[in-house]
Amino acid sequence: MTATSVSTPTLTDDPVVRQVIRSRLVAITDQMRLALQSVSGSPTVTEASDFFTGIYLPDGEFVTMGHQVTFEAPPVGSLIRHLLANGTQLKDGDRIIGNDPFVGALHQNDVQMCAPLIVDGELVGWAGVMAHETDMGGMDFASWSPKATEVWQEGLRIPAVKLVDGGELRQDVLDMLLAATRLPAQVGLDIRAFIATLNVASERLTDLCHRYGSALVLSVMGSMVDDAETQVRARLRELPDGVVHTRDFLEHDGHNNVLYAIDCVLTKTGDRLTFDFSGSSPQARGFVNCSRAGLAGGVAGALIPTLGFGIPWNDGLLRPVDVVAPDGLVCTAVPPAPVGSATVEAVWVVSNVVSAALNRLLLASPKYSHRAQAVSSGTMATFNLSGLDRHGQLFGLHLMDPLAGGFGAFGDHDGQDAAGPINAPCPSIADVETNEQKNPLFYHYRRLAPDSGGAGRRRGGVGAEVGLTISVPEAEALVMTHGVEVPNSAGLGGGLPGGTIRQGLAKDGGAPRNLGPKPGAFPMTPDDLFHVTWQGGGGIGDPLDRDPFLVLEDVRRGVVTEEAARTTYGVALTATGDVEPSSAAYGRRKLRAARLGVDADSLADPVPVETEVPDGAIRLSDRLVAIHDADSGDWQLRTLDGAVLSSGSTRWREGAHRFAMSLPTTVGDSLHDELAVTGWACPLTGALLAVDVHSRDEDPFHDIELDFESLTALNRRDQQS
Amino acid sequence: MRNSDPTPATTGWTIGTDVGGTFTDLWLRSQDGQSWVCKSPTTSDVVTGVVNAVHLAAQTAGLDVADLCSRVTRFGHGTTVGLNALLTGRAVRTGLLTTRGFGDVLEIGRLRRGTAGLTGLELGDYHLRGQIPPLVPRTLVQEVDERIDTDGVIRTPLDLVSAGEAIGRLADAGVEAVGICLLWATENPYHEIAVASLVRELLPDAFVSVSHEIAPSVGEYARASTTVANAALGPIAGHYLTRLEAELAALGMTAPIMMTTSAGGVVPASTVTQRPVNGLLSGPASCVVAGQKLGQALGTSHVLTMDVGGTSFDVGVVVDGAPLISEQVTFGGADMRVPSVDIASIGAGGGSIAAVDGGVLTVGPRSAGAAPGPVCYGKGGTQPTTTDADLVLGVLDPEAFGSGGIVLDRAAAEDAIQNTIGMPLGLDAMAAARAIRVVFDSAMADLLRAVTIERGHDPREFTLIAGGGSGPSHAWALCRELGLDGFVVPPTATAQSAYGAGTSDLKTTASRTSYVRLPSGVEPSPNDVATIAAAVADTKRRALAEMPGADLSAVTFSASVRYHGQAHHLDVALPDAPDLSAVADLLRLFEKEYEQLYGKGAGFREAGFEILSVRAVATREATTVDAGVQGEPFTRLGSRPVVFDDPARPDDTGVFACRWPAAGQDLEGPCLVQLPGCVVVIPPGGRATTDDLGLIHVTVGA
Repeated sequence: MTATSVSTPTLTDDPVVRQVIRSRLVAITDQMRLALQSVSGSPTVTEASDFFTGIYLPDGEFVTMGHQVTFEAPPVGSLIRHLLANGTQLKDGDRIIGNDPFVGALHQNDVQMCAPLIVDGELVGWAGVMAHETDMGGMDFASWSPKATEVWQEGLRIPAVKLVDGGELRQDVLDMLLAATRLPAQVGLDIRAFIATLNVASERLTDLCHRYGSALVLSVMGSMVDDAETQVRARLRELPDGVVHTRDFLEHDGHNNVLYAIDCVLTKTGDRLTFDFSGSSPQARGFVNCSRAGLAGGVAGALIPTLGFGIPWNDGLLRPVDVVAPDGLVCTAVPPAPVGSATVEAVWVVSNVVSAALNRLLLASPKYSHRAQAVSSGTMATFNLSGLDRHGQLFGLHLMDPLAGGFGAFGDHDGQDAAGPINAPCPSIADVETNEQKNPLFYHYRRLAPDSGGAGRRRGGVGAEVGLTISVPEAEALVMTHGVEVPNSAGLGGGLPGGTIRQGLAKDGGAPRNLGPKPGAFPMTPDDLFHVTWQGGGGIGDPLDRDPFLVLEDVRRGVVTEEAARTTYGVALTATGDVEPSSAAYGRRKLRAARLGVDADSLADPVPVETEVPDGAIRLSDRLVAIHDADSGDWQLRTLDGAVLSSGSTRWREGAHRFAMSLPTTVGDSLHDELAVTGWACPLTGALLAVDVHSRDEDPFHDIELDFESLTALNRRDQQS
Repeated sequence: MRNSDPTPATTGWTIGTDVGGTFTDLWLRSQDGQSWVCKSPTTSDVVTGVVNAVHLAAQTAGLDVADLCSRVTRFGHGTTVGLNALLTGRAVRTGLLTTRGFGDVLEIGRLRRGTAGLTGLELGDYHLRGQIPPLVPRTLVQEVDERIDTDGVIRTPLDLVSAGEAIGRLADAGVEAVGICLLWATENPYHEIAVASLVRELLPDAFVSVSHEIAPSVGEYARASTTVANAALGPIAGHYLTRLEAELAALGMTAPIMMTTSAGGVVPASTVTQRPVNGLLSGPASCVVAGQKLGQALGTSHVLTMDVGGTSFDVGVVVDGAPLISEQVTFGGADMRVPSVDIASIGAGGGSIAAVDGGVLTVGPRSAGAAPGPVCYGKGGTQPTTTDADLVLGVLDPEAFGSGGIVLDRAAAEDAIQNTIGMPLGLDAMAAARAIRVVFDSAMADLLRAVTIERGHDPREFTLIAGGGSGPSHAWALCRELGLDGFVVPPTATAQSAYGAGTSDLKTTASRTSYVRLPSGVEPSPNDVATIAAAVADTKRRALAEMPGADLSAVTFSASVRYHGQAHHLDVALPDAPDLSAVADLLRLFEKEYEQLYGKGAGFREAGFEILSVRAVATREATTVDAGVQGEPFTRLGSRPVVFDDPARPDDTGVFACRWPAAGQDLEGPCLVQLPGCVVVIPPGGRATTDDLGLIHVTVGA
């Protein structure tokens, strides 16, 4: 008897065969990653995993993705839908290239390729790949020009072009693409890597279809997406219903240091999410905008890791999501708006507000509050360098070290130091030595930046910082970011934001000059020292609720200074480096009294944050509790210490003590002119409930209006389980 | 036991030992080629377990211990698990000295430490990140004023005062070992040497490791990790080997101890005392080297070794007679630059737990381990494992499992599979057990594909050698998945690492950086050739320095080459004393191998080349013994129903047993052959034959 002679259940129903196909699809996606990383010549791919590989359904929904940049999940699907909508004739062996932000790319540097998988004349799916190319032409090196006012001044736009036609490379097209870039060797290697990656995927997928039949493979692909959708919808039903409002800012559009708001109103009903960005600023004159494709990338980038834990990552996670926003905003820009730095500007800030909104729901859910996370690395401060290297060859560097920002704190543990942003599931940066060997760089230091982690009961991870110069006589640097004057890594539930970017240049051994957010391009010599400190992650909970011995350990590790321990955490150290016992009590009471503007001696200490809430009450954050008041019959929002802040709604700011807050120097000393900081405290004890960074001309808004019925239902369910 | 010769020779005997998490394996071979395998429980001090195994071996061979020991001229030893446990649990307090400004090298960990150890879906769960602390806590890292650049030029001279203060702080903290890793010490070791001598002066009892000796490669994170791991292990390894040598000498052993290394092969124990980090992953490496040796005996140069243990499935690849080597491994959450036999591994083994989540059947990576173990062990396990599935399918005999004398509880396994897997999937217990096996096999097949097809090799050109407790029972299904005709099971299948420790060649490696950048269109210059030739000469000298009987050794060289900008490189063969034409040949060979790997037209010389480093490998072949010793014939024990493909129609399957097969036997499938600690499954349509090495050759039919 042999395998072929036995009867097995009909193929489409056999869960075993289906599982085998699932595993193969995941394995093929990983093989695509290996192929890309092996052949690529871009540090963004080889060292930093700033790329994407995936397998797609015939309609462009992605079925699998590697653990790579989550912003990049939607774009190749958009390219595929563009091809389908145009009725492009496709045949086996076609490889299509694109990078147009008004088709689906995040910005022109993100070069994508896709391959239709045609088996026995039928379109069974697609393989897709994309990666960040350091230069795709345009008026300035790196295709990011602060001077640009029109998208046509930026990198070459490729809507959707067949680079390989039925298996034949179109050398004329490749020549045209390589003629447009300043780095033809690097881009040339990468395009070869893309083709190799798609060939691997195509061969393996064809094998799979021949073995099991295209219909079955297609059916399994479809159910992978359906299953992820089912799981994420179930998870959404475990979160309270309501409306969450978050806002973040980016400063400077390359021309003027004006502030742009990205405003997110999240409405969560049952198993659906609607993100409304209508309240965001109009599109900018400069390159900080993103197109609607960038908005989709920013939403996906934050949503996938925040809600998709434990679920295979695919388009099913995005099915319950609607995005609402009119054209012409900073996050839905239309031509002629330039979008060159979209990924690190508008897209990144979209991701910040989506993360902040979703984590407010996690924090208010009994099942998930421990894994709610404050905002991580709220920006990526870019450093590009170009010129002639020591061999006289043109070089171009897109430094990936700025990924080393801090992770946001979690409800139950501190954020990791130098962990990278949430859009990077497997972050990585090159060694200092590797960077110095490949590029004419010379580092003075690369280290963790003390006090850059957002203070809180759980501290945000600290970011890293570098000081470097060049090792050739001259080169041109291109430096830009947001988050020098905006603390983007927002805290949660009374936690403070992480430190802001500080970047400067010391010319010829002189004193460092603050470069501000977007100095743009400037020449460097080996006598100049460029330094930059990246944002830390946000904290969770009042810093005065942090265990003093954890603060002590932070000081010993050098991630919190003694000064910050005393002024931010209220923990003084003795001469021998131990916690001053009285400081943890009286010192902290003085800091709380200062928030309320009262005398410390007459102030009651707050109850410990670990205090259990009464039966039937629901904790929305460390010190905010929703409780059904038997006397009035209304729901109330109270502090853990018993102060009633609101009745009948979760608009708890109505009754909280409001005060103008000054942030620690690493966070607040370079605050943008148009911004103000407001703290909210328990009127009875001065315990910190929230920190709002907002427009100076506007009052802070209520960030959360939850549905009490859904809260009660969740609480009941949690207690039953 | 095949003790057929009443008077075995009184010298030239070989022992190979390997310390695993549960058992210490020992393989013994007499001068005339008889072999025995023994297993003794691993003890917490490691040494006692090894000594116990030697006693057991003597008993098994029917000799007095002193008599046995006096006959042994080769004692091979691997302590992978012992060293690992020591590193995680009992490593000494270790400090790190680094260049000023870079003291957070282990904290930042290239951002890779945060996700180290996470796989698959875990990578999408950020709440799990950052659980692994750095190898050395920040408080024990001290910075020294100095800086060297990429050319080895001193940019900031070493400040001995700052170094002295840094060492003083480590002394105050009570460190017993010190790692020194300064930037670009690979290009100019002067500062590291000076700091090391200062440490030896100020901390005379501390074990000192310097990065340019321990891991001479560019990239400070892996170099520092390797250096501190080495420092942390040094005192322990030294103490351990001293004790082992003393205890074995007390038994009458005069043979020097040869330690296995991660790179495959053995080195004198004294070498490992200074470089313990090179032994970290030596167990799996020995297993691959054992496969390489068997390949030689079989006259095949392409071998795939598979080892299915309790928690993992390890695969090694031997191409053109040599195991593939990688230079970086991840250990303890850190990147380590240790030349290692390239082992691909997934968390799937006999103890892997099967589960249904959201209608999807998964196997592993969670494992029931040794305790509570599979459900059928009756030691409290409630979640079904692949071993439970094998039992239900009829592959395992409840009465004759392993050497522990456990009777397996088939009914409990069946219940657990029915309830946990069958019910949610709508399958009966047998169909569910088969489903577990198919998913398990398919995951293993994916890994075999990844190491062959995805690296440009056709798996059908390889001989698959199945080892480990579950390997010989699953290999038939993998062969069918990959289109292989069959596989080979050695009689030492469950102790391949011990066999490898006993048979491996002496092998030492040395590498050093030799950075040459050749922009597009630029030919290698005499200067470039001088750089490479100097590196070749230096690595040759160092590889031979650690080799006893250097004049009997062969030395081969390779260079790491890549297109400029790439992170991955290929190791390309290089002759001794290379000249201009040899370097030009090197680049041609690189392009040829590159295209072989990535497809015609994948090469892109317009990017230019980089030659990163040179490695020398010195090998002294172990003496081999003629085969041709008689084994025993298969004994038929009876038959039982075994499910292969159709869960509703099991095949009546003959069951045979044997401890060491005699040559010339021939069995038709379906049948099972129970070897010590494992079961060889021959599927319907398959066939098993034996040769004079005791190997079972299985063909799997259609």
